[in-house]
Amino acid sequence: MSGQDLKTLKFINAQFLGRKRPTIEAISDEQMDQDSSMVCMTSLSTETTEDREEVLLECLELFESLGLENPTLLKEFHKSYLDYSFNNALPRQMKALDASQPWILYWIACSLRLMNREWLGEDIQRRICKKLFKASLENGPFCGGFGQDPHLVCTYAAINALALCDNVDGCWDQINRQGIYKWLLALKSDNGGFRTGLVVGECDTRTTYCALSVAAMLDILTPELCQGVEQFLLRCQTYEGGFGACPQEDEAHGGYTFCAVAGLAILESVEKCNISMLSEWCSARQTAEEKGLSGRSNKLVDGCYSYWVGAVNTILETQGYSSCIDKPALQEYILKCCQSTERPGLRDKPGKSPDYYHTTYVLMGLSLTEHSFNTTKSASAISTREESDKFQLGAVNPVFGLPIEDLRKFLSHT
Amino acid sequence: MTETLFDNGPFQYSDIQPLPISSGDKDELCQILYDDEYKEVMGITRALLEKSEFSERALHATSQAIQLVPAFYTMWNYRFQIVRKLYGADPAKLNDELDWLDQFTLNNPKNYQIWSYRQALLKLHPSPQFLRELPILQAMLDEDTKNYHVWSYRRSCVFFFQNFDHELQFASDLITRDVYNNSAWCHRMFVLKSQFKPTPPTELLKTEIHYTKTQIELAPQNISSWNYLQGLYQEFLDNKFDAEVVDFALTFTSGAFDSLEKPSQILSSYALEFLAHVYGQSKDTSDKACRAYRALSEIYDPIRKNFWNFKIRSLTT
Repeated sequence: MSGQDLKTLKFINAQFLGRKRPTIEAISDEQMDQDSSMVCMTSLSTETTEDREEVLLECLELFESLGLENPTLLKEFHKSYLDYSFNNALPRQMKALDASQPWILYWIACSLRLMNREWLGEDIQRRICKKLFKASLENGPFCGGFGQDPHLVCTYAAINALALCDNVDGCWDQINRQGIYKWLLALKSDNGGFRTGLVVGECDTRTTYCALSVAAMLDILTPELCQGVEQFLLRCQTYEGGFGACPQEDEAHGGYTFCAVAGLAILESVEKCNISMLSEWCSARQTAEEKGLSGRSNKLVDGCYSYWVGAVNTILETQGYSSCIDKPALQEYILKCCQSTERPGLRDKPGKSPDYYHTTYVLMGLSLTEHSFNTTKSASAISTREESDKFQLGAVNPVFGLPIEDLRKFLSHT
Repeated sequence: MTETLFDNGPFQYSDIQPLPISSGDKDELCQILYDDEYKEVMGITRALLEKSEFSERALHATSQAIQLVPAFYTMWNYRFQIVRKLYGADPAKLNDELDWLDQFTLNNPKNYQIWSYRQALLKLHPSPQFLRELPILQAMLDEDTKNYHVWSYRRSCVFFFQNFDHELQFASDLITRDVYNNSAWCHRMFVLKSQFKPTPPTELLKTEIHYTKTQIELAPQNISSWNYLQGLYQEFLDNKFDAEVVDFALTFTSGAFDSLEKPSQILSSYALEFLAHVYGQSKDTSDKACRAYRALSEIYDPIRKNFWNFKIRSLTT
């Protein structure tokens, strides 16, 4: 066991005297009664500490059993999980995602593409396009599925999924850009944000990011559309440094922080927020014990924040600031705790089942830790410093959530 | 249809031909294997929507559909249009709808759509009541104390009704239950920033600072309470930290400024981070700030080394 691991075990013992697992007892003959960590860990036990204790023990067991070297990413193994869903109908319980079908396509296609560009074949690309257009209103905006209402975040997922399809059968020319533009204008609300749809639906940094991303991808980001949007996003930064859902002091959150910062990046306004506080908040998402990132203060680590928070960190890097997270440590969390040899696909944390959502965002998060990026103010021009075959994954644009290569092709076509 | 899987309630749907709920393409990618109940319920409700029927039976149909897949936003849209057309500005009927929604909410705590639907109902209601909203919010947060959507909705409600009376006590109760509940700490900041413009009364700020210190003493290694303490100074006191708060923070970091070679254990790395921030405010103390950041970087919180080094660089250049 390495010194670091031992230190971590001591931390666990010191923090959680009510031990539950025999693995911890096994090393308790060292002077465990003496708290050797540098910050005293005697703490009040609450729901928060109890939940964290459970996760810590699971992570620790994995760090212990997997040794010092990171396992490699089991690409062929994860491919089997993704391929299965493209080659078979989905089981009935997947009806929970019935109103999010463009997301399923985007997540699976993007994951395959990142692992190996060839793994997303032309036949599948064709079927992606066909399905998406059938779930649209006159080829844009897009809906959650056949016969449903148009929805802003589904339109985002649909455009990203189409961008992965290499303009197969001229699908990029079929997107109804004018229809989407008029619809986006109608979704704009008085406070500068965008709503998910015309009847009811939320209006927050997430929906606003989706609108900006779609508009930037389709080259319809007009001054009229952008009016007041920057202010809306900036008003969502909180005293903690991250961003919340709505400009009403909502709690800083990894997902919403990504949406706000990526939105600002599209508007080329990142430097108008408080960068120092944002970096501080991002760096505080990582803890020495789990090594992965959490989405909020005193919440649990979750693999998906490897992308949501990791991408904010990368966006800051592309703006010329230094990285504020420990990437090797994050890689260790991803490869040891989000991947299991028992089931293909990637997961939130040990004890959870893999799903498409986590597979994509964990992979994109891992990709961001592998590559380094050139400095630029333009979100669509983000590029990597070096191409190398030592990387396990293709490079991702941290603003649009797409492989850089696919984004470049799509944008140069529009 | 000989046997129906659809719970009709008191209504008749025999005149409705269910619409297909998928494209019917043989090679459709990621086709979900819908069960018969789902096909029937969704098919009937879609057919009603297609002919723009705004009726009691359509309302009933949407409740069946929403129960099967709460995230099916199209049905929430449809339901809202029905409610608006049928009940318009009838407070009693709209209260019935809120009752139905309360029940649904309790059974589906993680759902996204509920809250914007609820907001839309309140806007439609001629005489909405804040007190009517409180029990469901209390129940939901009792069940899941950090539920993001519920907290966000609570804030929008407080804003909508401009009623801040219950909020600090509400947050205090949850902090008493779990001092690490960051959502509850954020809610305090929401109250202070939104209820009082431009800044809260001095007395209240004093009470808040005192309250926060008490909570820090209970659990010193807590990012939430330290962030809040710093937030109070940053938002309302122009980052002017008094000697009292510096002394307070120092009690948790004893020895941290002495030597990097023989470091001693401290009670809170967040206290040290707080001090580093305070010392970083003035040129006279920026040496101390650097020492604090160095101690964080090398000893007390090395996983955040990159960030601490960034702070040191920005202080020294």
